[in-house]
Amino acid sequence: MMTMITELLNNHILSSIFTVAGTIALFQLTAVFQRKLNAIWLQPMLMCILAIIAILLWQNISFESYFSSAWLLNALLEPAVVALGFPLYQHLEAITKEWKSIVLVLLFGAFIAIVSSFIITMLLIGDYTIAVALSLKSVTTPIAIAIAGQLEGNTAITAFAIILAGFFGALVGPPWLRFIKVKSPKSQGLAIGAASHAIGTATVSNISYQHAAYSSLALIVSAVITALTSPFIINYLATLF
Amino acid sequence: MITFKQKTFNALYSIFAIFSCLALGKLCWYFAPILPSSLYGLIIFTLTLHFRLFNADYIKSSVVWCLKHMAVCFVPAGVGIMNHFELIKQFGIAIVAITFLTTLLLLTVVGLHYQRYADDEK
Repeated sequence: MMTMITELLNNHILSSIFTVAGTIALFQLTAVFQRKLNAIWLQPMLMCILAIIAILLWQNISFESYFSSAWLLNALLEPAVVALGFPLYQHLEAITKEWKSIVLVLLFGAFIAIVSSFIITMLLIGDYTIAVALSLKSVTTPIAIAIAGQLEGNTAITAFAIILAGFFGALVGPPWLRFIKVKSPKSQGLAIGAASHAIGTATVSNISYQHAAYSSLALIVSAVITALTSPFIINYLATLF
Repeated sequence: MITFKQKTFNALYSIFAIFSCLALGKLCWYFAPILPSSLYGLIIFTLTLHFRLFNADYIKSSVVWCLKHMAVCFVPAGVGIMNHFELIKQFGIAIVAITFLTTLLLLTVVGLHYQRYADDEK
C-alpha cells in the first residue's frame, strides 16, 4: 500500500488526478457528515484541511509536493472568485442606492481593523514585522502579501494570519452575528466579507444569494480601501512606538 | 425541463464568460496592479452581466453550482498552514489570539454599524 502511494505520487499526472479527486472526495464526505449531524463546527473546508495535514504529516509528504499535485484546484480559485460577480450583479440595483453608507462602514471597519491589530500586536509581541502582518490579515491574499512586502512586514505570518482570519470569520461569523442581533443577510454578508475575505465569502455564499452579494462587495471594497490607506496608517502608527 | 443539450451549452457559455472576464482582469492587472486579477475579473463579470453583454439566464444554473462548491478550491492553499508550524511555536498562541480578537471586533463593528444604518432607513 505504502509503495503504491509513493509510486503514484512520483507520476505527476496520476498524482494530480489522485490528489484532486481525493481532496474533493474528502470535502464531499465532510459536507455530508455536516448535514447529517447538523453540526456547524464540522465546517467542510476546515475539516478537510486538518485531515489532509494529518495525512501528509503521517505519510511524511511535504506541503510542496501536495500543492504541486493539487494545482488544478488552486488554479480554479481565480475563476471561482470571478463567479462571485453573479450574485453581485443580481443585487447591483439595491447596492448602488446605498453605496455611500457601504463605503463609509467599510472604511471605518478597515481603519479599526488595521489600528487595533497593529497596536495590540505592538503591545503584546512588540515586533514591527508581525504587527504589519496582522494588520493586513482581513484582505484577500495577493493584496495583503504585496502591501506587507512593501512595508517590510513578515509575509509568511501574513499568509498564515489571512487563512486564520478567513476560517475564524467563516466559522464563528454567522453564529456570533446572530448572537449580537445582527440578523439581516446584508449586514452579515458585509461583515463577513470585510473580516474574512474570499474564504468567508465562499462559505456564506451557501447561506443565501444576498449574503454572497454583500460579502463579495465587502471583499472588493475592503481590498481597495486597505490597498490605498494601509501604507499611510501603518507608517503613522509605526512612529508612535 | 432543461434538456441535456441546453445544459451543456449553458455550462460552456458560463465557462467562456467567466474565463474571458478573468482574462480581461489579467489585462487590467498588467496595466494597473492595484487589485489582483481575480477581483478585476469579478467586477468585469458583474458589469458585463449588468450591461447584458452576457445573458444571465444561461449563466445562472452553472454559477449556482459553482458557488455551492467553490470552497473546496481553498483547501490546497489552506493546507499551507502546515508550513508555518515553526512560526506558531515561536510566537506561541499570541498571533492566533490577536487574529481571533481583532476579527471578532471587525465583524462586530461592520455588522452593527451597517445594521444600524439599515434600521434608520426603514
